[in-house]
Amino acid sequence: MIDVARIDHWAASGAGPLHEASTIAKIIFLLLVLSAAVLSRNPYALLTGYGVLLVVAAASGLPWSRVMVLSWYAAVFALLYSLSLRSGGWDRMLFILKAITPSCAMLMLIVSTPYPRIFSLLSMVLPEVLAAGLFMTYRTLFILLDMMDNFAAAIRLRGGFSPGSLYKNSANISRGIAMLLVRAVERASRLYAVMVVRGYNGSMAEQGGIRLHRSDWLPITTGTVVLMLVIVWQ
Amino acid sequence: MTHMHIPDGVLPVWFWVLGFIVMSMIMGFSLYRLRAMDMKKKIPLLGALSAAMLVGMSLPTELILPGYHINLSVVTGILIGPALGFVAAFIANVILALMGHGGITVIGLNTLLLGSEAVLGHGFFYLFKRFPVFWRAVFATVLTLFITTLILVGFVGMSHFDPELLHHGEEHGRELQGNGSITTFAVLVFTIGVVGWLIEASITGVVIRFISQVKPDLLGHMLHVNKDGKGPGGDDRD
Repeated sequence: MIDVARIDHWAASGAGPLHEASTIAKIIFLLLVLSAAVLSRNPYALLTGYGVLLVVAAASGLPWSRVMVLSWYAAVFALLYSLSLRSGGWDRMLFILKAITPSCAMLMLIVSTPYPRIFSLLSMVLPEVLAAGLFMTYRTLFILLDMMDNFAAAIRLRGGFSPGSLYKNSANISRGIAMLLVRAVERASRLYAVMVVRGYNGSMAEQGGIRLHRSDWLPITTGTVVLMLVIVWQ
Repeated sequence: MTHMHIPDGVLPVWFWVLGFIVMSMIMGFSLYRLRAMDMKKKIPLLGALSAAMLVGMSLPTELILPGYHINLSVVTGILIGPALGFVAAFIANVILALMGHGGITVIGLNTLLLGSEAVLGHGFFYLFKRFPVFWRAVFATVLTLFITTLILVGFVGMSHFDPELLHHGEEHGRELQGNGSITTFAVLVFTIGVVGWLIEASITGVVIRFISQVKPDLLGHMLHVNKDGKGPGGDDRD
């Protein structure tokens, strides 16, 4: 289960050294860890790198245990893929670590960076439809999550969910989703109309931020350490 | 779980680069098709449905069946058409990748998977127009998810292929054939997937029937309108 609202809360409310670093520095950190995962042939090097990431996350005041749990979601496909290769224990371990290490870095980026900052960087390179779509999706997502919470509470109070009753639960959830979809489209249309009236033209207000600062040393050093570990320990 | 999000670092570099190239070509074509669209109508719809896909994936799964989540990608394809549906799949995958669900390097491949669900779902929904709305959506979803699972198995099979072997002659042919077991992977994903297809199909059916009864203009994509001008519900609503 993806807890988008909690991730957004962590990103917006934290004050650790990773929160203070610029978005571009954290993107560079992510690319360094990604390169390490792609280049790695040794699971122990990646395991050490994964450990370094968790230590940095904990030291920076990020919710490191939740980051660790969420990063393991990527291991499911990696395990299935390694089974398809009839690989041994060494390769399976390598595949799983190749999946969870960049996933961990990505989670460290998003729990320390509010989405609008990431989208403002992306909108510099993406076509207008995609940038506007990303922004509208982000705005609508929280409206929908809020509506879904209210719906779930209402249906629980009325005894609409019963453990083990697949048919009943599916039917109630389906009707709820259908109703939410209709309302979400109406709300999104109203929101977009208001944004256009107030001057929205497809670009994000928060831009700039492609310069490195002194506070960027932590993500860049961490990414470099993970990459160097993999290169040296092949 | 009706499809899987491929993480970073698992697939060969040539393969995910190819995924990005193919995805960019389809995205370019989709954006070309959308160049004349009414932004005021389509952007909110795009945002609402991309968000709905993400909310579907974040629903408390124990309420349906533990270990499974829904995608609503076929619903998205049916409601906004193949071109915008593919764009919605890309947006959902970018946000998913930002949450650590699915990789950055494989956004191309993941978008091809999720986008093909939107495109095929839309196409099948149009093809099955003789059936009542609920069953149109159900059949379209099951068939779509069967094909996209085949595509996933195909992706994994392709990723086992090493292009360097092409340059080493026939003596390496057997080595190539013996490289891995697609069957194991296929059996696993089809066994796990079939329950997910049925859950997704029943939810898609109810959602589309509800929309056709309450707000039929949302189903007013040009491909759904019959030549005689009748809308999607028309006479075939159940």
